[in-house]
Amino acid sequence: MPDFIAVARPSDLSDPGSLLVEVEESLIVLIHAGGQFYALDDVCTHDGGPLSNGEVDVAGCTIACPRHGAKFDLATGAAKTMPATKPTLAHEVKVEEGQIWVRLSGQD
Amino acid sequence: MMTATAIQGFTQVDFDAFLALRAEEPAWLTTLRKDAWQRFEALDWPARNEEEWSRTDIRLFHLDRFAMPTTSDVAPPLAPGLLTHDVDLAGQLIGYNSQAATESLAEEIASQGVLFGSLDRLVIEQGDLLRPYFDREVVNRSKDKFAALHAACWSGGTLLYVPKGVAMEKPFHALSALGDGGIDLSKTLVILGDGAEATLLTETASTSETDSGLHCGSIELIVEPEAKLRYVNLQNWSKGVWHFAHQKATVDRNATLQWTIGALGAKLAKVNQEVALTGPDAEVQVNGVMFTEGRQHLSYNTHQHHQAPYCRSDLLYKSALQDRARTVWRGMIKVDVAAQRTDAYQRNDNLMLAPTARADSIPGLEIEADDVRCTHGSTSGRVDESQVFYAMTRGFTRTEAVRMIVAGFFQQVFDRISIESVRVALGEAIAQRVQDLDQPTPSAN
Repeated sequence: MPDFIAVARPSDLSDPGSLLVEVEESLIVLIHAGGQFYALDDVCTHDGGPLSNGEVDVAGCTIACPRHGAKFDLATGAAKTMPATKPTLAHEVKVEEGQIWVRLSGQD
Repeated sequence: MMTATAIQGFTQVDFDAFLALRAEEPAWLTTLRKDAWQRFEALDWPARNEEEWSRTDIRLFHLDRFAMPTTSDVAPPLAPGLLTHDVDLAGQLIGYNSQAATESLAEEIASQGVLFGSLDRLVIEQGDLLRPYFDREVVNRSKDKFAALHAACWSGGTLLYVPKGVAMEKPFHALSALGDGGIDLSKTLVILGDGAEATLLTETASTSETDSGLHCGSIELIVEPEAKLRYVNLQNWSKGVWHFAHQKATVDRNATLQWTIGALGAKLAKVNQEVALTGPDAEVQVNGVMFTEGRQHLSYNTHQHHQAPYCRSDLLYKSALQDRARTVWRGMIKVDVAAQRTDAYQRNDNLMLAPTARADSIPGLEIEADDVRCTHGSTSGRVDESQVFYAMTRGFTRTEAVRMIVAGFFQQVFDRISIESVRVALGEAIAQRVQDLDQPTPSAN
């Protein structure tokens, strides 16, 4: 299993807010919502476009793809609305020692 | 004198140093390079809001992690390649990090006026002969920033020139290899004069499975009237290589081209492959074989451009995908007003070996003539479980059954490839890559 990798500081993200980070050859959108941090692949499974810059909905715990509006669950990556039907990858996140750490899942 | 170590990236200073190393090149080529460099500097990198790039993400590509080719890299011992097993060759060229390492050409071939070998060397020795073909600009040097970069900085590469009326029975072979962190900006130029015939097998390789690297290349195939070319291009870089390529053939009156591509390697590949049928009764067959795994992303834009009447083009791309791999195929048949009685076909089939793989297939037609036959088709599907079950009832394991189904899937395109060593090499390479599907299928999340 991959190690946790420090990717940003909590102060780098407003709440709600998101930040695009590069983690070991993957682009990850880091999201701050309702005091929690989340990490998703920066890929909308509808047409492969980027999720970063999408609107974060704190109450619904989702991020919306800026291209066609598909929403994904922040915690699980599950597709919540059309036109996406498949989940995007969600990654484990923790905050320790003043850093946000991400452990990539789905590494082949 | 400028030294090779002066080149550290892709700045103006680096480009000047690159040109200084090529002071022997003809002045017309230096002018072409300088013009292309200006376009490279003026153009932006392709953006995701461009339709052609909307499904291909290059935000992780950083050109500044590479540097222009120098002449100082020493090639390590290289494997002979996959395509030449038991093949009697007319000539062979092996390149490493965008420079020729070894060249050979049989004397009886050279005596017929055939040129084959390093384009770097031959453009110096045969500049007057080659200039008209460069002036044709078969590949548009301004197509995008990658095309301009290549036109400015191409290095190494392969030339095959077969004079009018000369027919070559034995194939030629070229292998381009990359070391870890290396760059390959090679150009392939094939010129068949009127009525000439030849076969060229080209392939790529990396020195290890995990090497990183960059290929930004071009292929230009010029098939003059009545000529016949069989061309094979196997992309087999390691899974850490970025692969960007512009490839185009022009096929003139009564000429034929069989173009086979195999795509097995690369982290991300973005390829524009175009065939232009420029004279009446030209005929082109394009075969594509792709196998992707891990998180590979292979994107192919194909273009069949009918510019003259009574021409035929037939394209078949087949892809198998496992793990989280992704392919994008976008095909276009374009028929000009003058190209009456065109007969064109394009087809893309995708076999999904994992639910987390993804294939995007986007065929298209743009027809301006009114007396044509143009059709296209596309299929994407999983392995048929009933076929697996049947094979297992006959004593095969699940993995053996899946391997057979994958082999059967590709058989249609293998049957079209008329060169046995290519069929065998592609079949074996794909069989090795089919994973043990007895393993639990990874969940979608």
